Amino acid sequence: MTRTARTRAGWACAAVGLVFTAYSARLIHLQVAKHDEYAQMAAQTHTMRQVIHARRGLIFDRNGELLASNLPVRTVVADGSHIKDPAAVARLAAPFLQMDETELTRRLTTDRKYVVIRRGVAEDTALELGRALQESSLRGLYFEQDAVRIYPNGHMLGHVLGFLDHEGSGVQGIELTMDRYLRGKDGYRYIERDRTGREIMLYRGQEEPADNGLNVRLTIDMNLQAIVEEEIETVYRDLKPETAVAVMVDPHTGEVLAMASRPCFDPNSPGAAEPEQMKNRAVIDMVEPGSTFKIVVAAGALNERKVDEKTLIFCENGRFAYGGRILRDHHGYGMMSVHDILVKSSNIGSAKMALMMGDDSFYEYVRRFGFGERSGIELPGEIPGLVHPPARWDNLTITRMPMGHALAVTPLQIVMGMSVIANGGDLMAPQVVRSVEDCDGRSVMEKPPRLVRNVVPNKTAGFVSNALAGVVGPQGTAKLASVAGYSVAGKTGTAQKVSPTGGYAPGKYVVSFVGYLPAEDPRFVCLVMIDDAKVSSSVNYGGTLAAPVFSRIGEKAARYLDLVPAMKAIPMDATPLALGSSAQERTN
Amino acid sequence: MNTSPNRRKQVNPVHFTSLVRWLVVALFCGSAGLFFVFIKNQQFALGEEIRQVERKIREVRAANEVLLARVTELSSRRVLQQRIADGFITVKPIPDIAIARLIPPTEASGDGVIRTAFNERLRQ
Repeated sequence: MTRTARTRAGWACAAVGLVFTAYSARLIHLQVAKHDEYAQMAAQTHTMRQVIHARRGLIFDRNGELLASNLPVRTVVADGSHIKDPAAVARLAAPFLQMDETELTRRLTTDRKYVVIRRGVAEDTALELGRALQESSLRGLYFEQDAVRIYPNGHMLGHVLGFLDHEGSGVQGIELTMDRYLRGKDGYRYIERDRTGREIMLYRGQEEPADNGLNVRLTIDMNLQAIVEEEIETVYRDLKPETAVAVMVDPHTGEVLAMASRPCFDPNSPGAAEPEQMKNRAVIDMVEPGSTFKIVVAAGALNERKVDEKTLIFCENGRFAYGGRILRDHHGYGMMSVHDILVKSSNIGSAKMALMMGDDSFYEYVRRFGFGERSGIELPGEIPGLVHPPARWDNLTITRMPMGHALAVTPLQIVMGMSVIANGGDLMAPQVVRSVEDCDGRSVMEKPPRLVRNVVPNKTAGFVSNALAGVVGPQGTAKLASVAGYSVAGKTGTAQKVSPTGGYAPGKYVVSFVGYLPAEDPRFVCLVMIDDAKVSSSVNYGGTLAAPVFSRIGEKAARYLDLVPAMKAIPMDATPLALGSSAQERTN
Repeated sequence: MNTSPNRRKQVNPVHFTSLVRWLVVALFCGSAGLFFVFIKNQQFALGEEIRQVERKIREVRAANEVLLARVTELSSRRVLQQRIADGFITVKPIPDIAIARLIPPTEASGDGVIRTAFNERLRQ
């Protein structure tokens, strides 16, 4: 070989070597330097993160009755890159999905790989649609597991249970407050799909199983709830009030046994409800409590030794001039004991006891009974009520507050205040959640009864309780609250309704009765509150409207709880008609 | 033409040992390759089977949950109360003998006292 030929061959080899070196360099660049980037791109093409949905926890009542459950459904999603003929897919799927074909075609005509077409498709429908797609050799629609929340009892306990939004998060009630327990944690797995969209099992990647939500057991007893709901529904239907509320608690533990409000809504279809229907009046409405509040001043005055069992207070024969205004009683009373002041519901007697106590001392007892502060119950939106400190009182407040005016409280606070008297002087924290359990029923979290504070000694509570039993007796204002065979204690309340524009709304009253049964060893305390019943003013009293409802609830509850009767049946009188209509006179 | 008596016969000897060795290696490689393909196919087939079984389990579980939800709804207090109101079902008193009591009932003797959950008629 000549020198020239060798040179040429050398150049050719060098050129080839250079080309191969360049290719090698590029290969190394792709395989090593850019490995992660291209691996990720490849993975994005074939790999997807499949969500394994956690099952939301169930809600039970205290006896294990199911209150909230899950119904499996499918979410239909489309992968635009898999759809070759959107019109054909839409034509096939539209009847199954109950969607307009044109609209569906428009939504399927996309390059996006994940488009939610419809949520909440029934399992059967999804299966049928899947088969139809397979038979027609069409692809691009996929079905993801999902679930909708169902509440088998409909509107019953709806305010307490609440509901979920479309993303499955709690919006109201227990669904909201216990969401972190109920929700669970979604799992995931990385999968690869072949060109037909089917998972290639061989390449199933990292996987984390779903952590299902925990079950919540409430303190509610659905048997008692049904009793309360039935009665409150009857009241709402017959008397047509603006609102009606009933709350039943166990005074010894603070456990809420039943809680019902009207108007109400069905949590299965919250979209159909008006905002007013969704309010749980027991914790978010505040009202002037009326005479039910007299237990506070009586217990406070007794405990502060301003009065005793034998003290007689002059009730000014029904007209008490104080602070430039006249305070009236329903009837003119002379000298009365504390017992009689409660039984007769004397406004003047109560005001005088508060005057004996003084502003600060009386205010302290109002707060000790739990008024003016949130109870901490596991229900959202609870308000503290409105109790002004003495520094903001005018000179009439000390005479108005003992009879339940000049302050605002929630129905739940009234029940818990009465529970103080019923259980011997302890303020218990109300609770609606009893425990949180795993899917095997093992308790994860227990909520034992919580004592907030001792308000009054047992002896004081016993004295007030004895007087409250007299309220339901033949001489009291709540004869109609009696339950044949049982001793009942309680207090009526009739308060003129506060107008949103200021002052009081003429002819509108909030009437209530809060009592317990059996008086000697209460198994439950129950409040019935009726706001602005459409009845004659002459019968619009706590003793005539709310007390009979309590009686019916008490009778049925006693049967259910199998309480042993302690006394003979008391013959029921006809409904008494009260006279007078001024706001002060009606506060009995 | 070579007529020498010492002419050696020119042959290429077959090294059977070596040949067999290479054949074994080739066979082994071939078998390994085929086995690899077979295993891979098996894996795909099993994977597909697992996928089908998983799908069936999911469907059965979902169907079960749908039925459970339906049972829950049909046996709910609301529906039962409605059925009682419509007359489809009736509530029958429980014979006293069938009630296990924690608190012994008190005898009624015409005193007008209510005896809770106490059915005098069925007690006879």
